[in-house]
Amino acid sequence: MVLSDAGYRRAAFILLAVGLSAGLEPQASTPKSQGVNADAVVIGDFEKQTKDYVRLHKKAEAGLPPPKPTASPHMINEHRRMLATRIQTARQQATQGDLFSPQVSKVFKRLIAIAYQDAGPAKVGSSLQHDEPVHGVKVRVNAIYPETIPLQTTPSSILVNLPPLPPELDYRIVGRDLVLRDTGANLIVDYIPDAIPQA
Amino acid sequence: MSSVSFRAIAVLVACTAGAVLWARSEIPRLASVELALESKPSGYAAVTLSAIACELPGEQKFLRLAVIGDSGTGGIEQYQVAQQMENCRVKSGFDFVLMLGDNIYGGKSQQDFERKFETPYKPLLDGGVKFYASIGNHDDPNERLYKPFNMGGKRYYSFKKGNATFFALDSNYMDRAQLDWLERELSSTTTPWKICFLHHPLYSDGRYHGPDIDLRTHLEPLFEKYGVNVVFSGHDHVYERVKPEHGIYYFVLGNSGELRYRNLRTSSEMAAGFDTDRDFMVVEIAGDKLYFQTISRTGQVVDSGVLDRLQRE
Repeated sequence: MVLSDAGYRRAAFILLAVGLSAGLEPQASTPKSQGVNADAVVIGDFEKQTKDYVRLHKKAEAGLPPPKPTASPHMINEHRRMLATRIQTARQQATQGDLFSPQVSKVFKRLIAIAYQDAGPAKVGSSLQHDEPVHGVKVRVNAIYPETIPLQTTPSSILVNLPPLPPELDYRIVGRDLVLRDTGANLIVDYIPDAIPQA
Repeated sequence: MSSVSFRAIAVLVACTAGAVLWARSEIPRLASVELALESKPSGYAAVTLSAIACELPGEQKFLRLAVIGDSGTGGIEQYQVAQQMENCRVKSGFDFVLMLGDNIYGGKSQQDFERKFETPYKPLLDGGVKFYASIGNHDDPNERLYKPFNMGGKRYYSFKKGNATFFALDSNYMDRAQLDWLERELSSTTTPWKICFLHHPLYSDGRYHGPDIDLRTHLEPLFEKYGVNVVFSGHDHVYERVKPEHGIYYFVLGNSGELRYRNLRTSSEMAAGFDTDRDFMVVEIAGDKLYFQTISRTGQVVDSGVLDRLQRE
C-alpha cells in the first residue's frame, strides 16, 4: 500500500503515540512495529474513504454552476441546497461508521487524547469551553448541520493531530462528538460519538 | 395637607426618582469612558490625538481604514454605529473596513444579508468603501463566496495596501494547511506593517470568552518570528486594547453590533477598555506610526493613541 505524505506524517506520529502508550503499559503484547503498521493501515483506509467521498461530492457538483464569488446570498444558498440534496440522494444508505469505522474511531480517539496530553488538557478544554460549545444538536449522518447554530471552533491542537482533510471536508465538534462535515453542502458525513474527552 | 404642599412633595419625589434613574443609566457609562481614557499604557502609546472623533493626523502619505467586529445583528445599535462610521468617512475618509467575524448572526437568507450588512453599510458601500471579512463562529464559512466581503472565495487570504499587508485568518479552523499558508505568506511579505485580523482573541479580558490559549500557542510563535505588528480580533463583545505582548499590539473589538455590558475584568494586561456601548475603530497608518481612534455609537472617542512600529532583529 502506498501512503501519501500526510499518511507518512500520520504514521510517524502514531509511532510516537504507540511508543508513549507502550511506555505506560508494562506488558505490551504486540511488537511496536506491528502496532504502528496497523494504525498506518487504518489511517490509510480512512484517507481512501475520504477520497471516495470527495469523488462522490464532485460528481454531485458536476451539473451545478461552479461556486464562484457572487453578490447574491440566494445563489450561494441555492448552490449549497442543491448540492446537499444530490449528495443526500446518493448516500441514502449512509450510516454512522461508514468513514469512521470502529478501527478508525479508535485511532482518532487516541490521537485526540494525545493532542489533549501534548497541549495540556486545560488548554484544549478551555479553548472548547470559551467558544460557545454546541450542545443539544442531534447528530445524524446525511443530515444538514443546523444553519442557525454556530459551528463550534475546532481547537488547533486537535486539528494538527488528525489526518488532514481535502477542502470539501472539515472536522467539527458537537457536544463530545467529532463530526466530519461536507463544507460545501453543510452535510454531516459521519461522526464519532464521544470522541472528545469528558471535561 | 394642603394641595400646594402635596404638589411640592410630588415634584420632589419625581425629581429625586428622575435623578436616581439618570445616575443609574449614565454613571456607569461615564465611569467606563473615564476608565478607557485614563488607563493609558505605560510608555508606548501616549494619547496624543484629538478627542474629536475622526480627527486623525492625515499625514502626507497615509492609509486609512476602519475596523468592526461582531457587527451583524441587524439591530438598531449596529445601524447607529454604521451611521457614525459614515459620519467619519464623510469627515476624514477611509478606504476600507476590516470585519472581525460574526458578520451575519442567525439566519443567512438574502434578507438577512440585506438587514445585517447591505442596508446598514449602504452609504459606505455606495461611497466605494471595500469590506474585507474574516469568518466568526456565527458565520457560515460559505460567506467566503459573498462578493462584498472580498474574500476571493477563500477562508483565509491576504491583501496589500500601501505599506501594510493584511492577513485575514479563519480562527474557527486553524488547521495545518492554514498554519503552513500563514508561515509562507508572512515569510515572503516585505511591507513594513504586517497586520492580522481574526475572530478569536489570543488575549482578552472579556469575562465571557477570554483568550483562546490553544490558538495562541499555534499563532503567536509565527507572529513573533515574522514580525506581525498588530492583531485585531473580536468574539468578546467588548473593546480592549491589550498592552503589547512579545512586541505585538493586540486589540479586541467585538462590540460593533453585539455588546456584553460591563463584561471586562480588571487586568494588568489591559491598556484600555470599553464595555458599556458599541463602537468601531478608525486607523491611520503613516510611515512607522499607526494612529487610532475608537469611537462609540454615540460619537464619543473612547480610546485613541499612536503606536510606533516596533523594530525587531
